[in-house]
Amino acid sequence: MEARADVPSTGRALLATAVVGGAIAAVVLGGYAIGGALMGAAGPPIDVAGVVRVQPLSGWELAARFAEPPRARLTRGSGNLDVVAVPFAGPAAELARQYVRAVLEPEARQLSVSREVERVTLESGLPGVRIAYVGLFGKAQAPIEGEVTAFVSPSGVGAVFDAWGPEGVLRYVLDDVRTMIERAVIG
Amino acid sequence: MSASLPPPPPFSGLARHRWATRGTLFRFRSPAFWLFAAIVVVTGVLSIEQQQAFRDLSPSGWALSWGLLALYVLPVLLLVSVLDLYEREPLSLLAGAFLWGAVAATTLSAYANEGWGLVVARVGGPGFASRWTAALSAPIVEETLKVAGIVLLAILAADEFDDVLDGFVYGALCGLGFAVVEDVFYFIGVFGGTPGGVLAGFWVRVVSSGLYGHVLYTGLSGMGVAYVVSRRGQEPLGRRVGIALALFLAGLAGHVLWNAPILDLFPGKTDGILDLLRIPLAAAVKGLPLLAFVVVLVRLAHRRERRWLESALRSEVGRRGLTAAELGVLLDPRARRRARREVGARAGPGAARVLRRLQREQVNLAMAGARATSPEDPALVRQRDYCKSLRDALHAIPGAAAAAPGPGPRVPETTSGPTPPAP
Repeated sequence: MEARADVPSTGRALLATAVVGGAIAAVVLGGYAIGGALMGAAGPPIDVAGVVRVQPLSGWELAARFAEPPRARLTRGSGNLDVVAVPFAGPAAELARQYVRAVLEPEARQLSVSREVERVTLESGLPGVRIAYVGLFGKAQAPIEGEVTAFVSPSGVGAVFDAWGPEGVLRYVLDDVRTMIERAVIG
Repeated sequence: MSASLPPPPPFSGLARHRWATRGTLFRFRSPAFWLFAAIVVVTGVLSIEQQQAFRDLSPSGWALSWGLLALYVLPVLLLVSVLDLYEREPLSLLAGAFLWGAVAATTLSAYANEGWGLVVARVGGPGFASRWTAALSAPIVEETLKVAGIVLLAILAADEFDDVLDGFVYGALCGLGFAVVEDVFYFIGVFGGTPGGVLAGFWVRVVSSGLYGHVLYTGLSGMGVAYVVSRRGQEPLGRRVGIALALFLAGLAGHVLWNAPILDLFPGKTDGILDLLRIPLAAAVKGLPLLAFVVVLVRLAHRRERRWLESALRSEVGRRGLTAAELGVLLDPRARRRARREVGARAGPGAARVLRRLQREQVNLAMAGARATSPEDPALVRQRDYCKSLRDALHAIPGAAAAAPGPGPRVPETTSGPTPPAP
């Protein structure tokens, strides 16, 4: 190892170091700051069966409504969020499993569902669960990946949020989707 | 043998820049050192945690990844070392550049890419983001964070950035560190971490694409940093910064092209030997233009450094530290190696080591001359004396004098006489 040598620091060295430190901080944190600023609310809240309300973020719009069970579909490009409201008595994990059995499995030619169940909580404090899936649906050749988030309110309202999109695309809407779910009002 | 060599002269008096003195990363009174160290320590902890997670996920795949990457690192290190012929950079600074790329830049980029990915997704939508995020966010984030480390090194050791080639060496090592850690991430996280997956990843990312990538991108950025530092007093700040920016953008453009979904000839999936063989061809289409550009720049920089060395040492020929024959050998890397081999064959490996040290100190004599305020600057005189004492030590070894470069024209030893004419 070379001989160690100390030298006095100067104002210029300090300034240059501060500029580099500032640039590093701007690069590391800047994306989150700008991304957050771009995540404004857009349009009126979407109401499903009068018991679940979701505020679309910027870029998201209501694409369709379905009657049985009551369901609204929000889209942004090729990313989608289906919001389902059903009366339900039981744990949120059971609601998620029933959604997979009743909605996803009949439509899928091939389906894999994660064994891991993630615990999540709404801003209101209501606990829920989240599972991920990937499969082939309808006539589409490309796999669809998604995640199902389920909550059951104390008043017996079951809410299922099914975020889905072509494989590789979903990750680019997950931040938006999770924010909309966290802010949703149920019951 | 080298234990009996004369001690090197002290470096006091050689420093020109106020920010630093020669030879080390550990400049405790420089604020740049503390920022550098703080970031490397914090990100180092996170980096170790990530490696432990990879090891737990796939112990054999993780070990195989590092074993294979060692095969990649060693020749690249050798290549960079060959480029750094005339003036060896201090080991601690080289290690610092590598560590910054491997630990700090990779960890910070992981966080930053996530944030800027959100921006691309929110501005362009998910479909656009899935195709273009890798090309739009990663190059800017990663190239900026890597070059930030080289800038910190330049602030704390400006006197070690003597020419653009020095910047290339530091930048290339930083890029090498980044590439290695990123490759481990890909081998485990994307290629599955099984031995078969790791081998597939090694074929795609190292064998097929290892010539291109981070080493080149950051090498270019490093050249820009060195240009700003080493041309101070020779060119106006605006021009130096403009050229540095152009070099940074050239590296950035190469990275954008590599990540962009254009000119993409890579097979979607590999079903046979033909698909495997397509991968290096597809990589060459994207990577060869930048490689050719960098080779040209490095050759130009190398020639310039050789010219500089020659002009810096010409006035030393005939003084105590250097003969004309020694200068001729010093300027030709092959002749240097040949001279060491011949001395080693005739007088043993100890003599070859002394000759190597003499050659290195004669290069340092050029550095001392460049920093000296007069031909009789005390530091310069000390360096001449040191070179002479090394030559004397070499000639004292039986058989070495006959094999060592000849004396060439010399003038009587003096410390105040006129500078002899160039040979």
